[in-house]
Amino acid sequence: MAGIVEKWKKFREPGYPGKFDYHWGMVIDLDRCSGCEACVVACQAENNLPIVGEKQFALNREIKWIRIERYWQGEYPDAKVTFMPMLCQQCDQAPCEMACPVFATYHNQDGLNTQIYNRCIGTRTCAVYCPYEVRYFNWYTFKWDEPLEQQLNPDVSVREKGVMEKCTFCIQRIRQAKDHAKDRGGDQRVRDGEISPACVQACPTEAIVFGDFNDPDSAVSKAAEDKRNYRVLEKLNTTPSIVYLSKVEQHG
Amino acid sequence: MSAIDRRDFLKLVGAGTAGAGAGFLVKESSRDRREQYIPYVATPEDYAPGIATWYKTVCRQCNAGCGIQVRIREGRAKKIEGNAMHPVSQGRSCALGQSGLNVLYHPDRLRTPQQRRGDRGSGSFAPISWEQAYTSVAERLASLRRAGKGERIAVLTGTVQGHMHDLLEIFMRGLGSERYLQYDFSSPESLLAANKTTYGREELPYYDIANADFLLSFGADYLSHWLSPVHHGMAYGNLRQGAGRKRGDVVQVEARMSLSGANADKWLPARPGSEGLIALAIANKIAGGSGGLSAYTVARAASASGLTAETIEELAVAFTTADKPLAIAGGPATHSSNGTANAVAVNVLNAVGGGALVANPSPVIGASATNRRAGFADIRKLIADMSAGSIDALIIADTNPVFSVPDQFGLRAAIESVPFVTAISPFVDDTSAMADIILTPHSALESWGDDAPQPGVGLSTASIAQPVVAPVHDTRALGDIIIELGRRLDNNVATTLPWDTTYDFLRAQWRKIYDARAGSLDGMNFEEFWNSVLQAGVWAEERKGPALAVTSGVIDPGTPVIPDGEFSFHFQPYISPIFADGRGANLPWQQELPDPLTGVVYNSWIELNPATAKEMKLKDGDVVEVSSASGSLRAPVIIYPAVRPDVVAMPIGQGHQHYGRYASKRGANPLAILNDTVDRDSGALAWCATTVSIKSVGERVALIRNSGTPRELGRSILGPYGEGGKTRHESDDDHG
Repeated sequence: MAGIVEKWKKFREPGYPGKFDYHWGMVIDLDRCSGCEACVVACQAENNLPIVGEKQFALNREIKWIRIERYWQGEYPDAKVTFMPMLCQQCDQAPCEMACPVFATYHNQDGLNTQIYNRCIGTRTCAVYCPYEVRYFNWYTFKWDEPLEQQLNPDVSVREKGVMEKCTFCIQRIRQAKDHAKDRGGDQRVRDGEISPACVQACPTEAIVFGDFNDPDSAVSKAAEDKRNYRVLEKLNTTPSIVYLSKVEQHG
Repeated sequence: MSAIDRRDFLKLVGAGTAGAGAGFLVKESSRDRREQYIPYVATPEDYAPGIATWYKTVCRQCNAGCGIQVRIREGRAKKIEGNAMHPVSQGRSCALGQSGLNVLYHPDRLRTPQQRRGDRGSGSFAPISWEQAYTSVAERLASLRRAGKGERIAVLTGTVQGHMHDLLEIFMRGLGSERYLQYDFSSPESLLAANKTTYGREELPYYDIANADFLLSFGADYLSHWLSPVHHGMAYGNLRQGAGRKRGDVVQVEARMSLSGANADKWLPARPGSEGLIALAIANKIAGGSGGLSAYTVARAASASGLTAETIEELAVAFTTADKPLAIAGGPATHSSNGTANAVAVNVLNAVGGGALVANPSPVIGASATNRRAGFADIRKLIADMSAGSIDALIIADTNPVFSVPDQFGLRAAIESVPFVTAISPFVDDTSAMADIILTPHSALESWGDDAPQPGVGLSTASIAQPVVAPVHDTRALGDIIIELGRRLDNNVATTLPWDTTYDFLRAQWRKIYDARAGSLDGMNFEEFWNSVLQAGVWAEERKGPALAVTSGVIDPGTPVIPDGEFSFHFQPYISPIFADGRGANLPWQQELPDPLTGVVYNSWIELNPATAKEMKLKDGDVVEVSSASGSLRAPVIIYPAVRPDVVAMPIGQGHQHYGRYASKRGANPLAILNDTVDRDSGALAWCATTVSIKSVGERVALIRNSGTPRELGRSILGPYGEGGKTRHESDDDHG
């Protein structure tokens, strides 16, 4: 499988280095996650996600770059539920990238799966290809009831009708940290822990670790070594950049 | 081009003929209203286009008192994050706290004071100026005071923390009234009463969840809105997977699985009201029959709760074998008719089993604030006084009792009988809709204040809340409103309020805090002290609290009620993880946030056990009528796999008559149909003690939910050891 990854990375040249500058990734510990949804609102605030309203929500047209999924097991009185934050997995071999007819979604030099809004023509093919169902389409140009628009984050563009959108790992925060690293001089590299996407920063239980997988000493690389590690729908060979740690279950 | 019309032009020319400068006027008025981007010649220190500034303040979305920092760009608030230096939040935040921005920029926030136009409760108001508003309120209060009827003025607020409480006390002294009550639906009244019984102190200890290795929760939804959700969230993360420790176990005892129950290793559906007997049976087992607990046998607890005797004995074993066990009580366990007795039983269990509790040291500020904390009995007295005509004026600030007090207690009619009602409220909500005048306060992000978090976190802490943005509308800070009203009463009162603004008042109070510590501050002057507290967002002192001494025995929890006859179900309203006690329902981010356990947005629902639903031939979305002896409501059914078959559960939060465009007339309010049952020891509202009947009304609604397939179905989504696999991890000892 490693061979395929190498090939694929090579295939993406020219324009990108064979090795990414960084490989941003996350480790999400399901044993810590309590399903409180602080991350969901944090993302909504940071990334200018619209309120779609009752009618559109009923048509499954909500826009939530991160959501909490819940999976029930067993029956009463032994019913159990496991919460799972689901967001764009920033796959290395992303099905959505292969699907886009206009190259609106591409892989950037940090291993991020990126969406170019003004290139997107809204075929929604990528959303169909995505096995994680984390791509969201703007069916309308959503409005903010005045003066709610004053809260909009000026670092993030507001999307309009006909455009696909998804989690960016808070790329605006990544860019800012890279700028700072550049100004700082030295090796001009972002240091571990300097970037927290909004969901990571909010999480009360500290269930999410974010960082650079290219750096073997980073917190995220260390956390990914836990023996509970797995990737969601691993057999699809999308090679996600998010590693989950499964919930510990007690027996007896 | 915004050209002036002909009439305006003639008017201006006419005015111009009377004096010089007409040409200037005409020219100014007819100019394009063009907005220009001109950089400041000298920019304010904290204003640089494109660069964010951060201000630390205190979150007021619930009473936990988390320190937050707010990101400001070009003078506008963009994002709320936790304050990493604050011992309560430690850099983390919750969903409701994040939505504080929705309050600040809410489209339905009242922009100026309002005067009632229609009937009380109709919600029809007309804007008036501050001068008019102040005049009409102050004149009314002053004339009552002159007539020696000051004590016929009542003030009802939500939880007021920090020095703002002292300001209100001074104001009340000026009025000559003793009727100052702080009432909050989510105030842990029976827990406080129980702690008074057990420890002789009406306070909350610090529950050391982070370091516990066995947490036994009796209905306390500590991951949602029990006391301090963000702090408990961090503690929970550490309990589970903290570095260098054994994974802690969690057991939750409650009739309906809450968010905390969902995260527990074991969820035990005990009969509502039997929690105290279980706790005492465990304590008895640990004490080995001594300690006056011999009456509380495992067999008695088992028959009362419906759990097996083995389960309860296993809990006793787990509690004794743990290094740091901890039992906590909350939610339904403390809000049934034996709530205080249940909480005392849990205190006894902690005392016998060595529970990880720490007494909080005395706070830096606000020790007196708890004096005005009103119990539900005080609210009932206020209702009786209002109905009897002994209240002539009522001021309600920052609380919505018309929503949270069950209709059965007659609060609405009582308020209607008060001749003059003033609300200090940023929104027209169920309560302020009954007011004659609404004074519109700043939101928390626009005002000065301070706070000593309750419950504490084992440290003495206090934080200053500072305005992070300029006021969005023509509003006034709560403190400024109080000072202004006080000054208009008469000169004697004015002298007791020598401060011009809340800011001056606050500085004066913090100067006292500074003076008491000046010796130990390394020669720091007051300005430096004030600025450093503002910058850090918190002042903390390491001080030890007194040891928790157990002063008294148990209160018998009695045998739980078994519903029968017409009303054959326990009705269990629960505090919603999304809306808390309903205060968050007007916020669009919260309305569109799926409930963590059911995925529902924009609606109310009731939860039924699958067996009950099957028996009654009900499916998801079937509308039923829920009736108690006191009233009825309609809501769709959700079949919920983790609720007892004899329980109907329903989230609190929706069902507002008035609360802005996102919440008004949406869903149903379960509190409205509660019986007038109170906790028999503390008098607290027993909101989990009503029994109900349900019947289908033959309608269906399409529930809006974000849930996909609720089961894993062999997809291994939860990891290689998921459903279908034998085991995930049989032993947890090697996780660190």
